[in-house]
Amino acid sequence: MVIDLKCACLYLSRYPLYQLGNPQLRIFRTNFFMTLVKPGKEQPPDTVQFRIPMEMTKCDIKNYLEKIYSVPVGAVRTRIQYCTNKKRNHLNQRVKRPDYKVAYVQLVQQQTFQFPEIFPQKDTALEPGSVEEMQDQFMQDEQQRQKADPRRGGVTEWFGL
Amino acid sequence: MAAPSRLPLLQFCSTRVFLLRCTQGFHGEPVVREPAYPPVIPSRTAKSKSAKKRREEDYYNQVRAASLVQDKLRLLTRLQRKKYVVYPQTFTLNADRWYQHFTKTVFLPGLPGKCSVGRQVVDKENGKVPSAAGGVDPTVLDENTFSELRSLVGNGILQENFYLKKRRPFLQKEQEHFVAPFLSNLVSSVTSSLAKYNPLLKMSSLDFNPEVSFYWMRGERTVPRGHRRGRVDPIRFQINDQPHCQIRVPEQLEEFLPLQESVSAEVPVVHFEPNRLPMFQRQYDNNIFIGSKVTDPCSYGHTQFHLVHDRFKRGRLIKGNLADQVEVRLRANAIASLFAWTGAQAMYQGFWSHEDLTRPFVSQAVVTDGQYFSFFCYQLNTLALTVQTDQDNPRKNICWGTESMRLYEQVKDGEVVGLNDDVLKLLVNFLLNKPQKM
Repeated sequence: MVIDLKCACLYLSRYPLYQLGNPQLRIFRTNFFMTLVKPGKEQPPDTVQFRIPMEMTKCDIKNYLEKIYSVPVGAVRTRIQYCTNKKRNHLNQRVKRPDYKVAYVQLVQQQTFQFPEIFPQKDTALEPGSVEEMQDQFMQDEQQRQKADPRRGGVTEWFGL
Repeated sequence: MAAPSRLPLLQFCSTRVFLLRCTQGFHGEPVVREPAYPPVIPSRTAKSKSAKKRREEDYYNQVRAASLVQDKLRLLTRLQRKKYVVYPQTFTLNADRWYQHFTKTVFLPGLPGKCSVGRQVVDKENGKVPSAAGGVDPTVLDENTFSELRSLVGNGILQENFYLKKRRPFLQKEQEHFVAPFLSNLVSSVTSSLAKYNPLLKMSSLDFNPEVSFYWMRGERTVPRGHRRGRVDPIRFQINDQPHCQIRVPEQLEEFLPLQESVSAEVPVVHFEPNRLPMFQRQYDNNIFIGSKVTDPCSYGHTQFHLVHDRFKRGRLIKGNLADQVEVRLRANAIASLFAWTGAQAMYQGFWSHEDLTRPFVSQAVVTDGQYFSFFCYQLNTLALTVQTDQDNPRKNICWGTESMRLYEQVKDGEVVGLNDDVLKLLVNFLLNKPQKM
């Protein structure tokens, strides 16, 4: 089924469920997109995590990756993340954060994927002799002076000799 | 007014009495009695770490002191908590590495020396073949018996696929329809014809669709949320397996490797939680069962036969880009099922994680989908898999296994084409395995 130019949006109409006797469903130029995300919790090395529109199914994801990106897919698992409806705006109306679907795709033949570091940690090494370095050093010394004597073991200096 | 008497008191309790008192104990030694304090041990009911340790110690002592095996099993499986359910036949990818980690098993390709196809088939005229190294008994399997077995197997295959007129099976019931009766036929006929060579088989018990289950703990995790947040809990596992059929024997099979011998291969370690496999948790009865109850005389295992389900057949895996997973899944099936069976056998003999095995437990398995056969041997060396008992435990469980081999090419015009003799010989070797003294 080539997408009709009149109804350009795929998911406004009903989901094209297959019944015995229907012609082979073909979709060119999909209307839905997948977003590769960094996993929040540690995932095994062959697992890739995506955020996908709610209407996509596991078969859709498999076909999408295999046909458009030629990435062979082993297994796909999906779940829907419910987001809160509890937050309120300045008019005290409840504001819904939109729900989203997450897909975990496992690759075949022991291939691995590691999400790249987009914001690499910069080593803040200050140049010796510069103004910033002297200021930093001064602040550190000041903090050191303000701290209590460690030999007192946390006892305050309000009383005593 | 009577003046108070100012006489000293001692006049009345006079020296006579004093002397009397002294003379009584004067002749013997002064009795020195040690002060008898009760032992200083931590409380049982306090909210402290030492009290918790003491409660655990008391529990372990209670299990050790239980005289009957049933009582021990009841004490170990009484408490129900959420546990991961391990399925031997699983849809998950690369399950064999994870299962090896859960069961502390090393996988060695090929079979141990005893069971490999070194046993030769000779005619009666030539005499006996000298026994192979490893103490295999020199039973000669003559040509007649072997050809008889071949015809039995061929007939079994033809019976299901050619002679019997069968309806087309419903979706995903092909294995049950065609292969399961062939496998039962094969096992029972081959076992009964080999019984005269292996007296162990005469005393064995052949079960169909038995239930094998095992419950164990491995590793620890910190509870992330809930009222028990921050506490350290062991990770519990349960296997509930239903092999197609199994042979249980009253005598234990001989070990393949001595208990203390270390194997060079390493157990793969997986640092992720089991739910990333994915594996799911449930809470229900903790069962430990070998296929019969504790009092049954046939309490050791010999061979299990597993039938691959329709969902995990070769064709489906290859269609779904998972051609390399075929062998992985067979291995995972064998490791999980055999670990559960041997572990349950060991627990039936009274061993558990804090009372480790004194002798290895050995079992065999054949995993098949009708056409392809793979053979596995398992040696259980240790049940001490909890974090506490695993710290100084150098022992590992070992699993040997083959790749899958075709038994026959196809069935054509009432003839089985390409019957593979090696597979049959391996099967015969497996079934003829018996302890040396018999």
